[in-house]
Amino acid sequence: MKVLIIEDEPELAQSIAEYLSEESYRCEFASSFTDALEKISIYEYDCILLDIMLPDGNGLTILEELARQRKQEGVIILSAKGSIDDKIRGLQIGADDYLTKPFHLAELAARIYSIIRRKQFGNVNIVEQNELQINLPAKTVTVNGTSLTLTKKEFDLLLYFLSNKNRVISKSTLAEYLSGDYADMLDNHDFIYAHIKNLKKKLTQAGCDHYLKTIYGTGYKWEV
Amino acid sequence: MNRLLHKTLKTYSIFALFVLAASVPAYYFLTDHIWLRELDEHNEIIAQRTEKELNKLQLSELQLSQSLALWNSLKPGTYLKPLTVIKERPDSFYTVLRPNPYSEKPSIDRFRGLSKIIHINGKPFELFAETNVEETEETVAAIAVLTFLFFLILVAGLLFLTRRLSAQLWKPFRNTLAKLKNFRLNSATPLVFEQSDTAEFEELNNALRKLIAQNISAYKAQKEFTENASHELQTPLAIIKNKLDLLLQKESLTERQYQLIEEINKSLTRITGINRNLLLLAKIENHQFDDMSDVNVSTIVEQCSELSGDFFEQKNLHLQTTVETNVIISSNATLVEILVNNLLMNAYRHTVHNGHISIQLNKAKLSVYNSGKQALDSRIIFERFSKKTGEHTGTGLGLAIIKEICVRHKWDINYQFKNEQHCFSVIF
Repeated sequence: MKVLIIEDEPELAQSIAEYLSEESYRCEFASSFTDALEKISIYEYDCILLDIMLPDGNGLTILEELARQRKQEGVIILSAKGSIDDKIRGLQIGADDYLTKPFHLAELAARIYSIIRRKQFGNVNIVEQNELQINLPAKTVTVNGTSLTLTKKEFDLLLYFLSNKNRVISKSTLAEYLSGDYADMLDNHDFIYAHIKNLKKKLTQAGCDHYLKTIYGTGYKWEV
Repeated sequence: MNRLLHKTLKTYSIFALFVLAASVPAYYFLTDHIWLRELDEHNEIIAQRTEKELNKLQLSELQLSQSLALWNSLKPGTYLKPLTVIKERPDSFYTVLRPNPYSEKPSIDRFRGLSKIIHINGKPFELFAETNVEETEETVAAIAVLTFLFFLILVAGLLFLTRRLSAQLWKPFRNTLAKLKNFRLNSATPLVFEQSDTAEFEELNNALRKLIAQNISAYKAQKEFTENASHELQTPLAIIKNKLDLLLQKESLTERQYQLIEEINKSLTRITGINRNLLLLAKIENHQFDDMSDVNVSTIVEQCSELSGDFFEQKNLHLQTTVETNVIISSNATLVEILVNNLLMNAYRHTVHNGHISIQLNKAKLSVYNSGKQALDSRIIFERFSKKTGEHTGTGLGLAIIKEICVRHKWDINYQFKNEQHCFSVIF
């Protein structure tokens, strides 16, 4: 799967590419506005990561251009601004998601995963992994055909792990994922334990394999 | 505090009192001097007339001595005494006090006298002419009473004029003062002073204009700096975060190294939070959240408390909500959500395990209570980074943001500690 990273900060672009490359994504780079316009008009991508503050132009113009060319790529805006106006405008023009810098790569991977799946499979968006079946639009999970009742947080966590297969995800990353902007206000991240414990228990009871491993005491990894 | 004009009035009055008091003896000496001189003249005329008229009568020795005896027994202001020895001397003037034998009350009168050698029928006589003159103390008393009367008129007049002038003269000053009192550095409107025709006030206004212009520009620069600095920090923070994510994936990582990365991650989350909150504060101050709409605060409070429910459960906190439905308030929806979330997270963070939190909302106010042991210092809690030492989480900006949002909406925020409960109330 092809991902275009439109980002003028090379260090950031490389980190993203390095993380994504292990997930069978092929990444291409565009470090300027003109470079980006050229690439999108020639090639097709599955997903575009768009930094809206580029040295020679506004990323939102690229979004407009994509809409004009009736391109179907999923677009995630990466912004250092985090302004609500930008977010609303970006989503109105046609972006699929909006991520404020700084973000965890696992978070980005999860968003790319869900956008690509949505674009590719639409309403029949079902993730299958051996005995595990997840219906993304319906938000239902079945193990060997029997359905599993998960809380919203447990479901979100499961999806997060599936989109970051074989990666070490630290407790703090999960805490940030679940608590959003309020992660910095929490004294400890123990609430993660409870959710993980419940998720593991439900999966095991339904007969699911032990995919979710604990690493280094407080880290987690979905091993396939 | 004394009014400025009353202070000058006091000084003027004391000065006037001294001057007028000093004028009393001066007036006395002046009038007394004039009086005595006039009386001396008068006595001189009497003496001359006596001498002339007696000589004109050409009385015989006998007639003269009889007349003199009668004259001297009556003493109508003059007295003639024959002299045996002829001695020429200059006229002498004197003042003498005599009891009044005709008055019912014992009284002493003052007389001005002239003693002069005159010649009648060629013989020398000593003539005494005396005229009653006002007593010293009576003159002094009369002048003093009059002076005091003038002093009273003067003070009353000054007081009246001061009142009138105070209202008129200080009007431009009061205008300026009123404007200064209402001036807020963060409201983008510059201050316009009224033109004054008083040089001092115009000078004051000019100095203030300059000072305020400098303040506004410094304040603006500071705000812009905060916003720019926060923006600029986002990218390097993102790089560090992503590199740590990559480092975490290394096969050869030991558990110790993993723990180190986690610790860095935690601090990074905190820096990110501080940075984001500083940016948010700067944006609120820079009027980036000025669009108002009718916001259903009830819905926001319910949503936020539902979202925080998860955290509350972890600490086994008892949450009680008393929310009046459909509380609609004209405000900025984003800011209201941040306000409610910050209040809840603040309560969550500072409540011990098994404590309780309650939220109350009605049309007049929103209150968040949480159990606690000790009252906080209400003077500094809303300041930036004023958190207690020994706290290692949080950004130290949560309450500052709450305060700023309230200021933006012209709401009151107050803190109370009652019955072992902290209470933050926003009064709409």
